[in-house]
Amino acid sequence: MSDILKPGDKVQTQSSALDCEVEFLLGSGGQGEVYQAKFGNESVALKWMHPHYLQWDTNLQERLKQAIVKQAPSESFLWPLELVFKRGNPSFGYIMALRPVQYKSLIDLMKRTITPIPTMRNLTTAGFQLANSFFQLHAKGFCYRDISFGNVFFNPATGDVLICDNDNVDIDNREKTSAILGTPGFMAPEIIARQSRPNKDTDLYSLAVLLFYLLFSHHPLEGRKEAKIKCLDLPSRERLYGSEAVFIFDPQNLSNRPVTGYQDNALIFWQIYPQFLKDLFIQAFTKGLRNPRDRVQETAWRKATIRLRDSIIYCPHCRAENFYDTEILKTNRGRPQPCWSCKKEMKLPARLRLDKQIVMLNYDTKLYPHHIDGQASYDFSRPIAEMSQHPKNPNIWGLKNLSREKWVITNPNGEAKDVPPGRSVTLDTRKKISFGKVEGEVKI
Amino acid sequence: MTTILPGGKLSTRPLHFIWLCDCSASMGDGGKIQALNNAIRQAIPLMRDAANDNPNAQILVRAIAFSSGAQWHISQPTPVEHFDWEDLQADGITDMGKAISLLTEQLKVPPMTDRALPPVLVLISDGYPTDDFNEGFRKLMSEPWGQKAVKVAIAIGDDVDYDVLQKFIVHPELKPLRANNPEQLVNQIKWVSTAVLKSTSSPVSQSANSSNISTNVPIPTPPTVATDGVDDVW
Repeated sequence: MSDILKPGDKVQTQSSALDCEVEFLLGSGGQGEVYQAKFGNESVALKWMHPHYLQWDTNLQERLKQAIVKQAPSESFLWPLELVFKRGNPSFGYIMALRPVQYKSLIDLMKRTITPIPTMRNLTTAGFQLANSFFQLHAKGFCYRDISFGNVFFNPATGDVLICDNDNVDIDNREKTSAILGTPGFMAPEIIARQSRPNKDTDLYSLAVLLFYLLFSHHPLEGRKEAKIKCLDLPSRERLYGSEAVFIFDPQNLSNRPVTGYQDNALIFWQIYPQFLKDLFIQAFTKGLRNPRDRVQETAWRKATIRLRDSIIYCPHCRAENFYDTEILKTNRGRPQPCWSCKKEMKLPARLRLDKQIVMLNYDTKLYPHHIDGQASYDFSRPIAEMSQHPKNPNIWGLKNLSREKWVITNPNGEAKDVPPGRSVTLDTRKKISFGKVEGEVKI
Repeated sequence: MTTILPGGKLSTRPLHFIWLCDCSASMGDGGKIQALNNAIRQAIPLMRDAANDNPNAQILVRAIAFSSGAQWHISQPTPVEHFDWEDLQADGITDMGKAISLLTEQLKVPPMTDRALPPVLVLISDGYPTDDFNEGFRKLMSEPWGQKAVKVAIAIGDDVDYDVLQKFIVHPELKPLRANNPEQLVNQIKWVSTAVLKSTSSPVSQSANSSNISTNVPIPTPPTVATDGVDDVW
């Protein structure tokens, strides 16, 4: 149990036989220990495996080699870069990039000790980034196999994510699998029942649990059934998350609703989010709970988290972030529900309808390539429009063209005008803006 | 503008972690009691780290000392972030049974809440009970929280009643941990306060070949220790 490498110890990379010098221990886990190490002039993270762990994870080295050759699915992964060995030592390890300090554990969010406190927009962005990252991992033919909140970090100031512990990653559905099953609470019911080994479909289940934790600070299956359990040990967890699992907001089965005073987060957040998001979680944890084919795909999560970002509205009284929900408007004569925080009446900002999307035009709204082109990739580094105030009258708000293409607006009277790059268009109701492939209509 | 986020932190369950320390006169030989004090003190920051990694658990620590009779050494269930170890002194005989009876009183409901994680009980001894261990043990096992508790035992040196420690652990596939020198003691205490604590509070990644265990908490592989007696410096 003592540190298996010591500061000053040198290990050698397999491919280039270069030295990598251990600096200090960063942390230890069941599989091994992670050190900061010097590799050339760079500081890297070095994970060195426990010899007893290698005894039963016999194809770890093969998996790591494969991951190194195939390279990271995206920059959101702290991916293995090189295998390292030490002369006379039966174990081995690998190096990867260090995690920058601004990336915080999801556990800090769960404990509410995270700084800065993320906005709902950044949480939603983190949800998008997670769905997008696992989409890219799966697109490369890999599965992750142990998605849990211990393996995911995010920047609360931006919503960017980093996925760590990539040594369980393997080619999906191979006959020869490693011994890892996953983390209780995140494992799909079919793994708990020992009917399946981790694969892409079970990853989708774990992803849904992770997203629920991120957005609700609660587990989707912990309702009355959990509250009734006296001793939460492994057998009771296996029933709760496996054989007797019921979604806490299952519309048909009301037996596992959250308990007021004990499981409040779930109840509070369920009131706040728009119906389209709740519908997706209902699918993930009712039909998708038992039937892997009915699980919510990453593309659906991506779409929903993007839509959720676009649905954010600010309370005019306390500035809290609320969500625009067309279902509420339909049943409430066009009025949004009161602010969740100060309970005062909400006022809708101007909206832009783009094809099937509705984007709230808040003071800080930006549009991105995907808003005006269904084929464009998601890229938040290149806004194509942002809200702007009229230079002479700050009470007049407009949408500024940050793209390289001109827009064409059509006023309600039929008059058309160009909006060249760098210029803004005043927001008036029923004004139409043609962005090229897509036309948007302003509603106030 | 301050960000307002709805809700609060994740709901947690208490996890009671209780040290049961042999303070009989023989623990005064060869610096054993000092080694134990040192090992537990070294484990505290690791326990805090383990607590930080577990959003579902509120870890509360206490300790019982037993020699001639048994008493609470640290009686209040103390959140691990505020837990501080007070040195034990060695003197007297080995009333292990009384220690377990004393413990059992605190595992009844109340004072225990009826909703918790399995308690972790760590029995550390260097000898043979001088009172009726079975009497204490019977009481412990008649309490639901006593049955559900994760029970671990650490044997200091070779002159230890392994049968009693094994009985305390209950599960035959889990053996008493052995510590034949101060370094091994540090390692065993470290393992108990990290690996066992973690897997009890919020189970870590599970492996396919751990499915045949009979415990209600998946206990990870203990560290291996040389047991040839060569290291015996007590």
